[in-house]
Amino acid sequence: MHLEQFNYDNRIVRDFAVATIIWGLVGMSIGLLVACQLIWPEMNFLTQYSTFGRVRPVHTNAVIFAFVGNGIFMGVYYSLQRVLKARMFSDVLSKIHFWGWQFIIVASAITLPLGFTTSHEYAEMEWPIDIAITLIWVVFGINMFGTIIKRRERHMYVAVWFYIATFVTVAVLHIVNSMQLPVSMWKSFYVYAGVQDALVQWWYGHNAVAFFLTTPYLGMMYYFLPKMANRPVYSYKLSILHFWSLIFIYIWAGPHHLLYTSLPSWVQSLGVVFSIMLIAPSWGGMINGLLTLRGAWDKVRTEPMLKFMVVALTSYGMATFEGPMLSLKQVNAIAHFTDWIVAHVHVGALGWNGFMTFAILYYLIPRVYKTTLHSKKLANVHFWIGTLGILFYAIPMYWAAVVQGLMWKEFTPEGVLKYPNFLATTLEIIPMHMMRAVGGALYLTGAIIMTYNLVKTIKKGNLLANEPAEAPALLPLKSVERDQHRRLERKPILFMVLALIAILIGGIVEMIPTFTVSSNIPTIAAVKPYTALELQGRDLYIREGCVNCHSQTVRPFRSETSRYGEYSKAGEFVYDRPFLWGSKRTGPDLHRVGGKYPHKWHFDHLLDPTITSPGSIMPAYPWLIDQTLDNSTLQAKMRAMRSLGVPYSSNEIDRALIDLQKQATGITKDLASNQVEIRSDREIVAMIAYLQRLGTDIKAVVPEDAAAKTDQ
Amino acid sequence: MFKQITNLHGDEIYLITSLWIFLVFFLLVALMLVWMKKEHINYMKDIPFDEAEEKDGEPLNKD
Repeated sequence: MHLEQFNYDNRIVRDFAVATIIWGLVGMSIGLLVACQLIWPEMNFLTQYSTFGRVRPVHTNAVIFAFVGNGIFMGVYYSLQRVLKARMFSDVLSKIHFWGWQFIIVASAITLPLGFTTSHEYAEMEWPIDIAITLIWVVFGINMFGTIIKRRERHMYVAVWFYIATFVTVAVLHIVNSMQLPVSMWKSFYVYAGVQDALVQWWYGHNAVAFFLTTPYLGMMYYFLPKMANRPVYSYKLSILHFWSLIFIYIWAGPHHLLYTSLPSWVQSLGVVFSIMLIAPSWGGMINGLLTLRGAWDKVRTEPMLKFMVVALTSYGMATFEGPMLSLKQVNAIAHFTDWIVAHVHVGALGWNGFMTFAILYYLIPRVYKTTLHSKKLANVHFWIGTLGILFYAIPMYWAAVVQGLMWKEFTPEGVLKYPNFLATTLEIIPMHMMRAVGGALYLTGAIIMTYNLVKTIKKGNLLANEPAEAPALLPLKSVERDQHRRLERKPILFMVLALIAILIGGIVEMIPTFTVSSNIPTIAAVKPYTALELQGRDLYIREGCVNCHSQTVRPFRSETSRYGEYSKAGEFVYDRPFLWGSKRTGPDLHRVGGKYPHKWHFDHLLDPTITSPGSIMPAYPWLIDQTLDNSTLQAKMRAMRSLGVPYSSNEIDRALIDLQKQATGITKDLASNQVEIRSDREIVAMIAYLQRLGTDIKAVVPEDAAAKTDQ
Repeated sequence: MFKQITNLHGDEIYLITSLWIFLVFFLLVALMLVWMKKEHINYMKDIPFDEAEEKDGEPLNKD
C-alpha cells in the first residue's frame, strides 16, 4: 500500500484560535458593560453610541459570531483535516475565509453602535454585511467540500456530518432571514411583515442556536472528546440516530419563541410538540459524550480540559432540558420576557460553547506549537473561576425571573394589579442583576487567566505551521457496500442534499401556509399604514435599539390586558417591517402606549427618564432633541414600502415632506402649550409621533367591532 | 393535565402530518442502524485515532 506524504495546515488553526481568544475577551467585556448598564444607567455614558440598546447587539453578535464563530472554524479546520487525512483544499481560500470573517466582525462592531441595524435578533447587521457573510460562508463551504472531495479516508466521520449540516443549514437560514429591500447603503426593509416576519425571525433565531451554537460544537465534541480521553466515542449508532433526529426536529421548534402571540395557534402548537421531542436527540448527544468518558473519569481529575468538557456537556444537557420546558405554555406564560430566558441562553453560551471552546484551546495550542501547556494549575484555576462565574450568573437570573414574572401577574384581593407600576418590578431585581454582573466578571477573569496561560505556552513553543502526516491514497472501491448509511458516509454531496431535505421540511410546513393562507393573518380595516413622520419615528426607534428592552405584543392574559390594554391581533402588524415584538421586557410593553400619555410626558421621558419615572434604569436620549431629522430618504422609504405591498398612494409619497411637517408642527404646538419650545424638525418629534401611534388603530374602533372583524 | 394543543380550528392536519413525517423518517434511520455491521461501526469509531499521534501517546483504550 502506497503511503502519501502531506502536511496539515496548522497556521490557519492558530489564526482562528488567536481570533477566538481576542474576540472572546472583547465580547465578554461588552457583556459585562451591558450587565452594569442595567444596574447603573450612568454607564450608558450619555452618548448615543454606547447606550444599552445599541451595545447589546454588539455583545450578542460578538459572542456568537466572533468568539463562537472563530472557535468553530478553529475546531473545524483542525479536526476536518485529521479525520479526512488531507490538508485543507486551498490555503488561499483559508486565508480569505479568515480575513473576510474578521472584516465582517469589525464592520459589525462599527455599524451597530452607529445605529445601522435591521433589529432582527442575532442578525442585526444591514444588507451589505449580510452579503459579505454570504460570500465568506460560500468560501468556507468550497474549502470544506474541496477538502472532503480530496480526502484519503473513504468514510466521513460523524464530526464531518455535523459540519456539513451546519454549512448547509446556516446558508439557508441566513439567506431566508436576510431577504431585504435596500433603500440606501445602510437602510433596508424586510420583505416580510408583522406575524410572518416574526415567524421567519424566530425560525432563524432558534436555528441559529441550533446550527451555529450546537451542531458544529457537537461535531467538535465527537472529535476532541475521544482524543482528549483517548477513547473512541461510546456509541456510533447513537451518534447516527441523534444526528438525523436532531437536525430534523430542531428546525420545527422556532415558534416556541412566539407562544401566546398573534402567530396562528397551529404553528405555536407545532413549535411546542417538536420542542418537547427535541429533548431526546439533544440528550442523545450529551449521553454519548459523557459515556465516552466511561472508564476514563480518573483523567477528569487530572486533565483540566476534560473538566471543561464535562461541564460543557452538563450545561448542554441542562439547557436542552430547560428549552423544551420553557416551550410548555404554562411555564412560558411566566418565564417569557423575563430573565429566565437570559439565564437559559447563558447556561448554553457560557457552559456549552464557552467551556468547550476553552477545552479545545487548551488541547490545540500546545499541539500546534509542539510544546506542553504552560501551567495546568492556572488552567484548573480558570476552570473553577469560570464554573463559579456560571453559577453566579445563572442562579440570580432564575431568581430574578421568578420574582419579576410573579410580580407582573399578582393581583390584589380587590382584583387590581398589585404592582401596576412596571418600574417597581424592575427595581426589585436590581440586586440579582448585581450578582449576575459579579458572575460575568468572574467568567471574564477566568478567560483572562487562560489568555495569559496560552500566551506563555505559545512563547515557549514554535509553531508547527505544516505538520507532516501520511496516509494511503484513496483507491477506487472494488466491492459494493450494502449498508445504506455506510454508502452515505462516503458520498458528501448526497449527504448534504439529504441533510438539506431534512432541515427544509419543518420550515416549509410552518412557513408556506402562514404566508399563503390568508385566514392565518386576518386583516383589520381600521389598521392604516404609518404616516411619513411616524415611519421616520419608527426608524429612530429601530436605530436606538428600543426593541432590546421593550416588547410590542400584548399577550391574552388578564395580567397583561389589565396592565397594557387590549391584547395584540395579527392584523395590527401588517405594515410592520420589521416586526418589533422583542424578546425581553426590561421595560414595559409599548404596543398600547399610543395616547396613554401626553406628548410632554414622552418628551420628558426621553430627555431624562427619571423625570417621569424616578429610579428608572432607562438611558436618557438628549441627542434626539439636538439632532435634525434626516428626511433625505423618506420618499425612497415610502416607495420601497409601496413596492412591498404597503398601500401608499403616489400623492401621499409626493406630499410626504409636507404631511410630515404638518404633523410635526401639531406636536410642537402641543409641546409649546406645555412650556416646551422645540423646533419641528427635531428627531424627538418623530419619535413621539411614532410612540403616540402605537396600538391606536383598533382603539378607534369599538372593541366588539374589532374583535368581530378579527374573527372573520 | 397538559393542554398544549387546543383550538387548532381544523388545522390539526399540519400537526398530524408532521408527526407522521417524523415517525417514518425516524423508523428509516433506526432500520439502517439495525442493519449496520459491527466491523464498520468499530472502524468509524477509530477514525480520529491516526497512527502517527498514537505513537506519541498512550495506547488507545477501547474498553
